[in-house]
Amino acid sequence: MKHNKMARLYVKLVMMLVLFSVAGHALAHGERNQEPFLRMKTLHWYDIKWSVANEATVQVNDEVTMTGKVHFFTRWPDQINKPTTVFLANATPGPVFVRVGTWLNDIPMIQSTGVELGRVYDFKVILKARVPGRHHVHPMFNVESAGGLVGPGIWITIAGDWEDFVYSIETRTGVQIENLGSYGVENVVKWHVFWVAVAVFWLVWWIRRPLLVNRFLLVKNNAWSELITKTDLMVGALLIVFIITVLIVANKYTKEEYPRTVPLQGGKVEVNYVPNPEEGQVLIKNHTAEYYLPGRTVTIDLSVTNNSDKAVTLGEFTSANLRFINQDSEEAMSRVDVGYPDELIANKGLVISKPSPILPGETRRMQVEATDVAWETERLSSLLNDPDSSYGALLFFYDDEGSRYTAEVYGQILPTFFDK
Amino acid sequence: MSLTAEEARLLKAISVPNSDAAKIVRNLDWIVVVVLLFAVTAAFHIHFMLTAGDWDFWVDWKDRMYWVTLTPMILIIIPAALSYPLMAKFGLPISGTLCGLCLMIGEWISRISGFHLWAYFPYSMIWPAIVIPGLMLMDLFYMMFRNVFLTTIFGGASVALAFAPANWPILAPYHIPVVHMNQLVNVADMIGYSFTRTATPEYLRFIERGTLRTFGGESTLISTFFSAFVCMILFYMWWRIGQFLSNLGTIPNQLKTMVGLEADKDEA
Amino acid sequence: MSAIQNDVVKPQNIKPWGINYKPMIIGMLIITAIMLTARWYQQWAAWDYGLDASDPIFDVYWMTIFWAQIIIEPIIFVVFVGYLWLTRDRHLNKLSKREELNKMMFWISMLVVYAFSFYFAGSFYAEQDASWHQTVVRDTSFTPSHIFLFYMCMPVFIIIGFSLFFYAITRLPFFAEKLSVPLLLVVCGPFMLLPTVGYNEWGHAFWLMEEYFTVPLHWGFVFFGWSIIALGGVVVQVLSYLTGDLLPSVLNEKGELTS
Repeated sequence: MKHNKMARLYVKLVMMLVLFSVAGHALAHGERNQEPFLRMKTLHWYDIKWSVANEATVQVNDEVTMTGKVHFFTRWPDQINKPTTVFLANATPGPVFVRVGTWLNDIPMIQSTGVELGRVYDFKVILKARVPGRHHVHPMFNVESAGGLVGPGIWITIAGDWEDFVYSIETRTGVQIENLGSYGVENVVKWHVFWVAVAVFWLVWWIRRPLLVNRFLLVKNNAWSELITKTDLMVGALLIVFIITVLIVANKYTKEEYPRTVPLQGGKVEVNYVPNPEEGQVLIKNHTAEYYLPGRTVTIDLSVTNNSDKAVTLGEFTSANLRFINQDSEEAMSRVDVGYPDELIANKGLVISKPSPILPGETRRMQVEATDVAWETERLSSLLNDPDSSYGALLFFYDDEGSRYTAEVYGQILPTFFDK
Repeated sequence: MSLTAEEARLLKAISVPNSDAAKIVRNLDWIVVVVLLFAVTAAFHIHFMLTAGDWDFWVDWKDRMYWVTLTPMILIIIPAALSYPLMAKFGLPISGTLCGLCLMIGEWISRISGFHLWAYFPYSMIWPAIVIPGLMLMDLFYMMFRNVFLTTIFGGASVALAFAPANWPILAPYHIPVVHMNQLVNVADMIGYSFTRTATPEYLRFIERGTLRTFGGESTLISTFFSAFVCMILFYMWWRIGQFLSNLGTIPNQLKTMVGLEADKDEA
Repeated sequence: MSAIQNDVVKPQNIKPWGINYKPMIIGMLIITAIMLTARWYQQWAAWDYGLDASDPIFDVYWMTIFWAQIIIEPIIFVVFVGYLWLTRDRHLNKLSKREELNKMMFWISMLVVYAFSFYFAGSFYAEQDASWHQTVVRDTSFTPSHIFLFYMCMPVFIIIGFSLFFYAITRLPFFAEKLSVPLLLVVCGPFMLLPTVGYNEWGHAFWLMEEYFTVPLHWGFVFFGWSIIALGGVVVQVLSYLTGDLLPSVLNEKGELTS
């Protein structure tokens, strides 16, 4: 008996090590250290498509597009601000990609915006490759007071030379800016060098003379006419006139050269929610949710009420970018694109206790099991360290015509440490 | 105040060209200059970056309200404090100039090494603001007046009054209007939007976002004059703090007997 | 009787004036080597292995460095400060004025090394921290930027600062006679930047999630950075002593060294 137990433990250990080393390649960007309840009850990203494949190589200046849907969870955590100020962005290692355009429900998103809870929005992000290297590229929303909430990401390698990057724009006044990254820099450096030269002149004016001991004694002796001579005063006065004159003249020329300027634009853009026919037709009630630590399984006991006029089958459970697909559902499986990041698709899929289609008007109580080591590697199991042990997820149902129905599920989640 | 006999002799001694005395004091000068260059860069830069830094790092934070108001107020603090020992003890009207130059050097090195070479931000996005003219005027007025009250008014105010005019020649090209995705922005906004700043989204910008009254668009002037007023108060306050910190004395050393010195006698 | 020695023949054993700049230069070279090596390391190891603290590879490339630093640095501190204390001059009252002048100038030259190391902490690595954290999602208190800024740069200048303080109170009568308050500030103020890290991390974890640089949770650093203003006080104290006591006792009216 003992032998078996030891052997099992040993195998588990080896598996864990293997899985860890494999999982380690999917390097995240720090979002694993965000609280699980934050990642599970804020944004749910789905239908994410990239215009290039995972592990593709693009050249400097090539464009990459990300599209998809983002759902703002109804049971938004109280611990962070409501998403009344958010910004659609991309999670990349800084400006290795340049943001060419971002849209939410076809509204341009240069500015920040506000969204409604419980709603889903279509987003589009166009990026332009800039700095060579292998980069993880995700869509992201920055939410005021919470920071960045990151979507799923793929690896893209940028090949070429950073020096070849070019981003040209034309201004409203007809000025053609050849390269946004170097525009105006020559002028900036020129003025900095000028003022540094003036400062150095003034410092050298004093440093060339004995500084400390001499002057300390002269001050003690009140010999100010030796400390600050008539020449010093004259040079000082000239410098005052010089500095003020340069400022006035430079500003005059600047106003003439740039007569039409606008201040930084600090407004907010408004986006309307577009009614989503997939929502509201299937309702979920959570009875109990448990997280079984040794097996890395989330088990949810829930009731599904089908208020649509079609029979529906549960196809997918998704939370914090992890996707658990019902492998018996063709429609659900077809929604997993080839090349979608492996580490975000659970190998074992979704296990459903009563998998037959749920008829229109039926309320069915069932259990779903979502098992994957990703619960641990994504550090979602650290909800045991959270002061708030709750979860949130989206469920996707499909009818036999392939239409999708989305529903939220949420509740408390209880840790289980022992086999039942 | 006047010199003791020994000090008077010393003054004569160090004035003898090429003497040992002249060499010693000149060596001391150069060493202290180098110490000051590094120490002032470190102290002024860390003070500035953690108080007005965000506005200085990014071109799309340089607005007409917060940047113009806060930067001079932050800038004047350490130069005002150091102006006491430098001017009142050594007759050197160089505090502002020294601090401004050190800050510029420290900032450019960090923008090139950290912001550009490490984090890949383009120079058009990360250039530091010009701070030297206002700080130099502060020194020059202190030298001309040699009076802390007049310097407070003219020198203190200059730091703020010179700030916006010194920077407009380099900022104006970035405030040309651009229409991108059918939205109006300026070139600075466009740079900030385009070059992804992953953890620093647009809404984080502490910039002028519009009020009911902006006096015909003269936000910059209003911010400048308000800043000048506060700078005057700050100059005087920090000059006094500099005076306090420069005249701190000594406290007894309990360990002195362990190095062969006589213990302090208790006062009768 | 006048203390002026006008026509007395100079004793033959007066060493000519000169400062040994070698320790200062070596110190600066060592600091430069450490700082530039760290910067080079960050250039590749930060992006490739430093983005996710929960990844085992982060432990290999970054946490090993962290642990190495916090083990080695206290040892060096104890060695330096301990050495300076144990080899203290036990007869400072017998130190000749010329010797005192030599040591004072040597000590001031080593202040260059202190200021140079403070430059890396206060300017170079500190502002670079903004470029990292305003770009990368912050996860734990140990990031590629912090591991060098808080746990290398700061301990380095603390070690140098305390060493200089202990040199001063064990070899320079002026500083041993009474403790200079500005000197205490110049050494202890920057030292306090390290405990302020605790306040900083608390703020990032529990108070403000957004990556502003100019936020109250950083202002502990600003406050203790101000202590460098006391450097002016140190200069004033040293100059008072040099001009009032030390230099007149080793120089004659012609500017020649008399001992």
